[in-house]
Amino acid sequence: MLLDVSDLTVTFRTNDGPVNAVNGMSFSVDEKETLAIVGESGSGKSQTAFAIMGLLAKNGASTGKVAFDGTDMLGLSPKQLNKMRAQQIAMIFQDPMTSLNPYLRVSDQMAEVLQLHKGMSKRAAVAEAAHMLDAVRIPDAKARITMYPHEFSGGMRQRIMIAMALLCRPRLLIADEPTTALDVTVQAQIMELLAAIRDEFGTAMILITHDLGIVAGSCDKTLVMYGGQIMEQGDTEGLFEHPSHPYTKGLLRAVPRIDRDDDELLTIAGEPPDMSNLPKGCPFMPRCDIVKDQCAVVKPALQFDGGRKRACHADRAEVANV
Amino acid sequence: MYTFIAKRLAVAVPTLLILIIFSFVLMFAAPGGPFTNERPLPAAVMDNINARYGLDQPYWKQMYDYVYNVVFRFDFGPSFQYRDRTVNDVIAQGFPVTLTYGAWSALVALVVGVSLGIVAALRQNTWLDYLAVGITIGAQALPNFVMAPVLVLIFTLWLGWLPGGGWNGGQWNHVILPVIALSTSYMASIARIMRSSMLEVMNSNFIRTALAKGLPMRRVVMRHALKPALLPVISYLGPAVVGMITGSVVIDVAFSTGGIGQFFVNSAFNRDYAVIMGITILVGALTILFNLLVDVLYAWVDPKIRY
Repeated sequence: MLLDVSDLTVTFRTNDGPVNAVNGMSFSVDEKETLAIVGESGSGKSQTAFAIMGLLAKNGASTGKVAFDGTDMLGLSPKQLNKMRAQQIAMIFQDPMTSLNPYLRVSDQMAEVLQLHKGMSKRAAVAEAAHMLDAVRIPDAKARITMYPHEFSGGMRQRIMIAMALLCRPRLLIADEPTTALDVTVQAQIMELLAAIRDEFGTAMILITHDLGIVAGSCDKTLVMYGGQIMEQGDTEGLFEHPSHPYTKGLLRAVPRIDRDDDELLTIAGEPPDMSNLPKGCPFMPRCDIVKDQCAVVKPALQFDGGRKRACHADRAEVANV
Repeated sequence: MYTFIAKRLAVAVPTLLILIIFSFVLMFAAPGGPFTNERPLPAAVMDNINARYGLDQPYWKQMYDYVYNVVFRFDFGPSFQYRDRTVNDVIAQGFPVTLTYGAWSALVALVVGVSLGIVAALRQNTWLDYLAVGITIGAQALPNFVMAPVLVLIFTLWLGWLPGGGWNGGQWNHVILPVIALSTSYMASIARIMRSSMLEVMNSNFIRTALAKGLPMRRVVMRHALKPALLPVISYLGPAVVGMITGSVVIDVAFSTGGIGQFFVNSAFNRDYAVIMGITILVGALTILFNLLVDVLYAWVDPKIRY
């Protein structure tokens, strides 16, 4: 097991009291495996990733255990953590337009990773970085590497981010909504690139997204989050064909389909929960179609049920029939 | 870039010309003159004086002569008040003094202000931050006409460490107190600008990227955050440096340093048009020069700006 997260919680201190962004997440990622973390905005997907990387905002704190190849990430000193970042776990972010430093040349931003972590000379580091830009299919990489970020398009910048993340051949790549800020054709290219990179470098990947269309084709396992908790977790194919949680079903129903002649987009009625004041029972209850008596009082436990994990009081047959 | 600088310098010429003409007109519009006394001089004497300084000429002729002399001979004419000296002499005497303590003040304000701002931002909401913010608020609230005598009281009268005034050819111990008194409020402004811009930059996405790359905090700050955080300081610096190197009446009076600030005010009281004009043009030229420097510096820091 490459990454083993157990009972991870993330809490932010705010002026309006604590905000519980992640509430007891447990999951694992194997070597060379791709895991999708799916959920709507504010469900705690990104904060889970930031907690793993130790990149939480100053007012955030995490508890639980994040074991990367046996090393507890949450207990590391800043120096040890810096070694893990980039060398073992790398991350790419949502907005490629602002994620690169606009005041530094791409070559400098990429080379410093290799200079720092691999002790390479500047010249060798830049040459290696240019190779990596070739690998993410940036045309004329050798010449363009000395340009500044604003001289590249959004898609190209995300390619640069990917290349930069891969420089030290990390074993795990966390991609936090890598295509959200890009237009649809570029989205497809980036997803193709990520899949190719994964195969070529043998990198395990966590793909955080709210776009189920992306997940279906590219991820081994899928984890559905709501209110900072796991609702359902299993292999992607089975989960998409037979969703066993009302929230997963709702999400899948909300995907617009070209083969259906709908006038209106389907949505899940209601609002996402207030993370500073989560309900005592199931966080999804206020928006759920199948409400049981215990839903309001007892938080459903995440349990193995029919080959995957699910957290719901209703049984699978009930969910399937709604 | 070079064409940009050349263009800006070319534009500076008409700007200065307009400044000269405008201040010339303003001064002539004001009632009274340098030789107006409570007890009028005999008409013959008045005529002589007016002829000596060219004041008997029509306005347009006076203006033309003045502009011609300034532009082509770099001659600002004789002073009305200091009878045996020209304006060039006055500036040559006063400006080096002002430039010395002004440049030191600018350096001190920049270095201390930027450091203080960075520390406060990186240690936000700790005692260090509160201390730094406290110092800057205090420094900004304390006017330099209060600060100057207090400094003299402490360092000259009580401790006896530093001279309380005079210039003595710019000897180091005569420079220290004027520099402290002049730089403090600028330093405080720079520290506050730096603190807030540093806080903003440290929250930006590219800093998160830098941290995710496993760079140590020191490197993230110095290499990734410093340059963008300095941009607002640079824009503030243009007018601030001009303000410092063209001196301050308060400093000149409090420490008897003999800079142009003192000459400027004396000339205003004595209707010494020539000196006022000379110093005004000097300040105007410096303002134009430093605004240009700021723009050049900006383009150097921010690759998105290209002229």
